[in-house]
Amino acid sequence: MDMSLIESLRNALPLVSGFIYPNELELQWSILIVLYPYITGLVAGAFVLASLERVFNVKAIKPIYRLSLLVALAFLLVATLPLNLHLGHPERGISILMTPHTSSAMAMFGFVYLWYLMVVLLMEVWLDYRKQIVEWSRSETFWPKRIFYKVLTLGVDNISPRSLAIDEKLGKILTVVGLPSALLLHGYVGFIFGSLKANPWWSSPLMPIIFIFSAMASGIAAVMLIYMFLCWARDVVIDMPCLDTIGKFLLTAIIVAFSLEMLESLQTAYEAEEHFDIITLLVEGKLLVSMMLIQIMLGSLTPMFLLGLTQVVELPEKVRKVFYMLSGSLALIGIFAMRWNVVIGGQFFSKSLRGFTTYKMHLVGREGLFSAIIVELLPLVILAVLLYLLPPWEKESHSKSPTTAA
Amino acid sequence: MKDAQHLLRVIIIFVAALVGFLLVRSFLVPESFGKLGHYRANAVDDVLALPRHYAGEPACKKCHAQQASDKAKSSHRHMSCESCHGALQAHVDSPKTVKPSKPKENEMRAFCGNCHGKSLSRPAKFPQVDLEEHNRGMACNQCHQPHQPK
Repeated sequence: MDMSLIESLRNALPLVSGFIYPNELELQWSILIVLYPYITGLVAGAFVLASLERVFNVKAIKPIYRLSLLVALAFLLVATLPLNLHLGHPERGISILMTPHTSSAMAMFGFVYLWYLMVVLLMEVWLDYRKQIVEWSRSETFWPKRIFYKVLTLGVDNISPRSLAIDEKLGKILTVVGLPSALLLHGYVGFIFGSLKANPWWSSPLMPIIFIFSAMASGIAAVMLIYMFLCWARDVVIDMPCLDTIGKFLLTAIIVAFSLEMLESLQTAYEAEEHFDIITLLVEGKLLVSMMLIQIMLGSLTPMFLLGLTQVVELPEKVRKVFYMLSGSLALIGIFAMRWNVVIGGQFFSKSLRGFTTYKMHLVGREGLFSAIIVELLPLVILAVLLYLLPPWEKESHSKSPTTAA
Repeated sequence: MKDAQHLLRVIIIFVAALVGFLLVRSFLVPESFGKLGHYRANAVDDVLALPRHYAGEPACKKCHAQQASDKAKSSHRHMSCESCHGALQAHVDSPKTVKPSKPKENEMRAFCGNCHGKSLSRPAKFPQVDLEEHNRGMACNQCHQPHQPK
């Protein structure tokens, strides 16, 4: 046996309590599997926010429509990376697309992912930017960028009103199709945990729905924070009606997600099946900080309180901005904690329902903390590149609306 | 149609991507995949071609009929010969040069203790002894014959 493994087991053993089976000592799903639903959730949430403008005609959030799409795209490009890093043989990951089995939820997810990336998101971004892409391909002075835009025009520089009207119509259809696709993409992640009937912490038909609503909250919070940061970095005025509207939707998403989570917990407590004792010990012990304090108190109740205040009290703009920033950050931390509590928490207790194992995260290595930080930061780097190539504020700067500053 | 030309190009790209995917797939999917089930059928032949290590009890019986018959009447009847003597295909292939292993005298107490050492997790009626107290220092086969244990 590998000596380093023995050494890590030696460190882990004192942290084990009660009775566990031998193969339960080491957690199989690491922090990367926590990141996976977190990142796909951000994609789905950002897309839902974009669709509010396009499908549901919420005009106030127009300034962040393009930004939401780019955020969704940046995170979607990285969504499968944690899964591949988790595999001992990442090169075999492609097999689920080459020889998919219909009974494999993950294989089917591969196709939903491809559909969502290629047909929905890339197409929608392209259609929305096409007019600017053609213009940039003519006016850009930096030649590599000009070539990039030329390639993106696909050799067609027709931006007649009729062709743009076709783009607009098709874009709307794609958003309508994309909305269920985004929910399916993230609902699947909840589905995969919810259908693990051997684990009472996961097995619940509510799981996909809880994941979808928490995804909305995290995606909306992420876009809101990125929008605020970009306005600060570009030294432009934040569009307050837009920010207030995002705040309202964020509050709604957090309320629904939190209520569903609590309903599920209540149901588990009321049913009090044979696994209830171990789950009580889990929540009161190993998950006390990450669930009670971070997920519920800091990540749900505090943002709900702060965002609620902005709705019932007439607060000055400056205070509202601080509240939005705090609520967005706390919601993001809280939803990360929720993913942690689901993925890691579900592996803490033994199938014997009589003991607990522990999780010792490595600092370096394929599934270590540094890998996780890189995976989490990578979408932001991709977003920076996308913002450089496809600046979302270009369109607004030509618009007549005086309130549209970003 | 002129105003939708760019969409036509997108469709061409999608069709090309689909053809490319199918082309890559035809190279990546093994030839015999799916013939017998959702796996590579040739894997069966590959596994059969691997060197064998265990010969199986019928091979032992051919030469060691007495021991096989003793064991068949004993409480060890469900145990395979290779459980105690190790993998024996090499011995079957070259009986003169490769000799079967058996538990060494000084390791015998630990070896038999794997199954017969006292443990609360074993069924109460299962023969088990406290190795710390039971005839300390003596090898098990001084009193018990493994092929006819009592």
